[in-house]
Amino acid sequence: MAEFLIRNGYVFDPLNGIEGEKLDISVRDGWIVEKVSRTARVLDASGKVVMPGGVDIHSHIAGSKANCARMMRPEDHSKDPEPKTRYARSGVGHTIPSVFTTGYRYARMGYTTVFEPATPPLKTRHTHEELNDIPIIDKGCFPLFGNNWFVMEYVRQGRIEELAAYVAWMLEATKGYAIKIVNPGGIEAWRWGGNVRGLDDRVPNFDVTPREIVRALCQVNSLLNLPHAVHIHPNCLAEPGNYQTTIDTMESVRDIPIRGHPIMHVTHVQFTGRKGWSWPDVRSGAPEIADYVNTHDHVTIDPGQLIFTNVTWMTADGPAMFALFKLTKTKWFNADVESETGAGVVAATYKKSNYVNAIQWGIALELALLVKNPWKIFLTTDHPNGGPFTAYPRVISWLVSKDARKKLLDKINKTAKRRLDLPGIDREYTLYEIATITRAATAKSLGLGFKGHLGVGADADIAIYDIDPPEVDPAKEYKAVRKAFARAAFTIKDGRIVVKNGEVVRAVRGRTFWTRPQVPEETMKTVIKQLESKFDDYYTVRFANYPIEEQYLSASRVIATSEGA
Amino acid sequence: MSKKISESVVCTFCASGCDDLEITHNRRTVDSARNGCAISLSRFASIRESRILKPLIRTRGNLRATTFAKAIDRAARVLNNSKYPLLYGWSQTSCEAISKGIELAELVGGLIDNTTTSCHGPTILGLQDVGEATCTLGEVRHSADLIIYWGCNPIHSHPHHTTRFTVFSKGRFRKTRKDRKLVVVDVRRTDTAKLADKFIQVQPNGDYELLTALRTAIRGEEIEQDSIAGVPVDTIEETADMMVDCEFGALFFGLGLTMTAGKHRNTEAALALVRDLNYVTKFVVIPMRGWFNVTGANEVTTWQTGYPYAVDLTQGYPRFNPGDTSAIDAIARGEVDAALVVASDPVSHFPGAAVKHLVEIPIVTVEPKWTPTSEASEVVIPSAILGIEASGTIYRIDGVPLEARKVVDPPAGVRPDVEILDAIINRVKKLGARR
Amino acid sequence: MANLIITPLRDFKIPVTAECLSPDFVAGKSLRDIELTEVWEGNRRVKLGSLFRVYGETGSAPGDCTIRISGNVDAVRRIGFEMTEGSIQVEGNAGMYLGERMRGGSIVVAGNAESWLGTQMRNGQIEVKGNVGDSVGGSVRGGTKGMRGGTITIHGDCGTEVGAWMRNGTIRIKGNCDLYAGLHMKNGTILVEGNSAGRVGAHMTKGKVIVLGRMEGVLPSFQFEEIRSNAKAGDEKIPGPFYVFSGDVNEDGEGKLFARVSDNPDLKWNERFLER
Repeated sequence: MAEFLIRNGYVFDPLNGIEGEKLDISVRDGWIVEKVSRTARVLDASGKVVMPGGVDIHSHIAGSKANCARMMRPEDHSKDPEPKTRYARSGVGHTIPSVFTTGYRYARMGYTTVFEPATPPLKTRHTHEELNDIPIIDKGCFPLFGNNWFVMEYVRQGRIEELAAYVAWMLEATKGYAIKIVNPGGIEAWRWGGNVRGLDDRVPNFDVTPREIVRALCQVNSLLNLPHAVHIHPNCLAEPGNYQTTIDTMESVRDIPIRGHPIMHVTHVQFTGRKGWSWPDVRSGAPEIADYVNTHDHVTIDPGQLIFTNVTWMTADGPAMFALFKLTKTKWFNADVESETGAGVVAATYKKSNYVNAIQWGIALELALLVKNPWKIFLTTDHPNGGPFTAYPRVISWLVSKDARKKLLDKINKTAKRRLDLPGIDREYTLYEIATITRAATAKSLGLGFKGHLGVGADADIAIYDIDPPEVDPAKEYKAVRKAFARAAFTIKDGRIVVKNGEVVRAVRGRTFWTRPQVPEETMKTVIKQLESKFDDYYTVRFANYPIEEQYLSASRVIATSEGA
Repeated sequence: MSKKISESVVCTFCASGCDDLEITHNRRTVDSARNGCAISLSRFASIRESRILKPLIRTRGNLRATTFAKAIDRAARVLNNSKYPLLYGWSQTSCEAISKGIELAELVGGLIDNTTTSCHGPTILGLQDVGEATCTLGEVRHSADLIIYWGCNPIHSHPHHTTRFTVFSKGRFRKTRKDRKLVVVDVRRTDTAKLADKFIQVQPNGDYELLTALRTAIRGEEIEQDSIAGVPVDTIEETADMMVDCEFGALFFGLGLTMTAGKHRNTEAALALVRDLNYVTKFVVIPMRGWFNVTGANEVTTWQTGYPYAVDLTQGYPRFNPGDTSAIDAIARGEVDAALVVASDPVSHFPGAAVKHLVEIPIVTVEPKWTPTSEASEVVIPSAILGIEASGTIYRIDGVPLEARKVVDPPAGVRPDVEILDAIINRVKKLGARR
Repeated sequence: MANLIITPLRDFKIPVTAECLSPDFVAGKSLRDIELTEVWEGNRRVKLGSLFRVYGETGSAPGDCTIRISGNVDAVRRIGFEMTEGSIQVEGNAGMYLGERMRGGSIVVAGNAESWLGTQMRNGQIEVKGNVGDSVGGSVRGGTKGMRGGTITIHGDCGTEVGAWMRNGTIRIKGNCDLYAGLHMKNGTILVEGNSAGRVGAHMTKGKVIVLGRMEGVLPSFQFEEIRSNAKAGDEKIPGPFYVFSGDVNEDGEGKLFARVSDNPDLKWNERFLER
């Protein structure tokens, strides 16, 4: 019975309403408990902030497209090697870290759960192989559905129950966690080098519209009572002005009954939050989008904060990647996946002096500052598209301090600065709100009832940061805040100390979460028959070889769908 | 012994990943195999031939049978004592085994390289400069109306390629041979070329110039010469038109590009041509990889170290620079002082200058069958054949992962690679790895 | 000028990585400190003093230091890494990555040098009396930034891809060069006094490659421009006449190739375009 007591820290636990109170946290055998015995080891957290371990809802860390990116970019790796230590395997970092380095770098920031947000079902075995290898953090992945042939056919025929059974079958077959949609219908159009132009464009050869696909999958989400919302990357990402598509996408599912949590999560909205007709003229669509989010409860968003640095774009949105590649002329990887989806990877750089980049940077921050309720907006950089996840502390410093923002605003493209609302926004996040957007709200959105908080029964995933709230005003001492979030004083995973003073001192194995929704047996039988009859026509692998066995995951944990309610 | 029929078995020979094999077998032997190509069927038929049945250590000049524990111990000592060990092979074993190999390479401080280094390494180097517009093989089957085979002969190297994926396959949008055009580019009229609608004979070592000329032609720019690499400019312009006018083109290339003058620049030119074509139509490229899990070796090595092959872990962190960190070059310069060879036969395949040095250093071989490399080794550990006697993950040429499953038991005492490597790792740790 | 003399104690087979063999590192250090510096020999950390005899003296600033390596160091890598001043003289053969990311100072090699010499060099001078391997003055794998300043002079022959991704500076090869001189060149000048094996200037966008000997074929993505009476390499005017080609058209490039008329009878057919 391994016990310890975290004593005297300033606890920020938004899911339990604890806002900086001095509290002791008791841990036994990997869980938070009511109290521990007198022989428990004591960890003194005096003068420090104690939060639940970070929960990242959207970060491209594993799978085929991440690996295509790594393979394509040796020059990215050679700048940032990670030598082997007594506790840690070697690797490489920068924009697309190798798997061991990924786990260590998240843990160093006090993060303990991360989700890979887009995996092509046919190749999801690959995603799991990588997730298995990522040390320390708990994880999961979202399979892609928005361009899938079976999905589009069910949608065209209006067979929602069978669609639900198919999705249930797929989530179990791929050991996936949630429904992900990327550019619905657009990636199928990319088969012929095209794209869709909006929600009501017809997908070539399938006679459905993106709107129909999105609505049907949201209905399925409700029917199956999945723990997370439908996670969506809207159409038109590479259009200069696309914010209206984002709003229309959110609006398109407003009427679908929800079951205790939002029906839709729109991701990296900065990329689809621009206003205007041409690149030299883009503006921020953040005020309109924030306004929508503020007045509607069926959606949540994350900004996908841009960082002025070298990045790698990677997404299932093949056509958008090619369109953007043509602007950068660097290098481009494309990997369409038969009958299902695609992927694109491009090497890129964001510069402060570049007008569009500066606007995008501003859009992301405006979104975070204008959405009033921190339970509706989560901290992401859409790693590695907006920037590397190791930049989260920097983003935190911008959110908590107007001075920090001003310092950078003075360096960005002047026209962009003039055209953004950002300079005039005074809001500064509190530490409580930071805890919300980096752990509490994300855990809640994912339906992981035992994560993102420090109440009794939660997993003992805890982050302790070197910030002394009575002494530190984050708005003024944002540099200290940034440093503290970059190197956790302690990171505890399942009740074991894995990081001390920002260094990995122990590598543990994390779990992979997936869902197994239930549908009527008869419907499932019917759907499986349909799959078996069509499979050889659609795929070049056999039906028997497609599903992934549970033993494949090195540490599997099924999340029952009723937990999500 | 009772017979069983295993269906949907994944073949582990070439990288096409055919997974529709039907094997009739009992616990220890294969009776018959159906649906595979001739090479695949003969592979199943010959699993008992030339097997190494016991661990061996070279004693007083000859390889003599020993126990597993002693062989593992000797293997661990060879690697531990080495200042510049090479861990090579990997393309005919599972991803799980490769992962162990990387762990071992990091533990002993060595180079880890796979057969990419002598075949499609240039493809990867090319994509590191250009990228790659590709897709899974099913997309080609469904959509491609133009197929180009360049510097490869799939009729012999990947016998089911044309029937499963290209001209003879049935896709959603292309149903018969009539729906596709086939172009073959090669230095001689191969059996695959005999099937082509258009055969282009290119001068040996002239592929780079021809690819460059095609890029120029598709841009509508004028080529000033009358012929390039033995191909008349008119033919080049016709071919460029075919490429531009198709709805979905697919280029497959093999060693004819990767191993002729220019190597990775040849592949760079092919990748750049396909990229350029995407400005005007839809075009993809898929390299014709040889061994059934060379793609897997690249994938695992990349996600664990950042680099796909020729990885140097001697200084405690991954470095990558083929020519420096690659097996053939490091051996030929006489730098490597010990080698672990898993599922490969470098003594047969490496150039003479490298083999000369290779046979002078202690080699530990992990291998199912007798090969010249095992004959030259100091330690030989017999292993189970993946996809027949052992299970594991493999990656098809196009990056689709498959579970290759065990069908029969290996010969008594013969273990899967994963177990053998695990044992070496544990022994190295016990002996006190230097790091 | 303070001379530090480094003599290899034996022939190295296992690669040695010795970035400390640079004026910037040795400046102000005692001989003892230098001997105790750890370097990699394969996968072992060893003291420099166990591989080399170290004697002489060091200056207090890099600019005052000369390092003389008396012997063959083919297997010693990264000599002169990121040096900013001072000089290195290798009295035998030098290993890979010589002068990588150099910013100033000079390196002279009496023998041959291995590949990746002067990778991403910013300034300074490297001179090799013998032959050199591939990728002189080039970039790292997957990178797009080669040499951007300084001068490299090779008296013998060089391998493939000399000046790959070059952004500026001058490379002079007195012997012959292998395939792909000036690959992906962005700017700068490469002068080959001997013959070039071909595919010169592949993917170049700017800069110039001058070949005084035979240029083996011109890529189809280059277009004949004119005959010029001479070519300029830095301040030097080299008498021609030269066939001048422009390209790489496939990259919308405006780089220039100069092939001396007298040595390139196989290129004479281009003269038909002179009437235009």
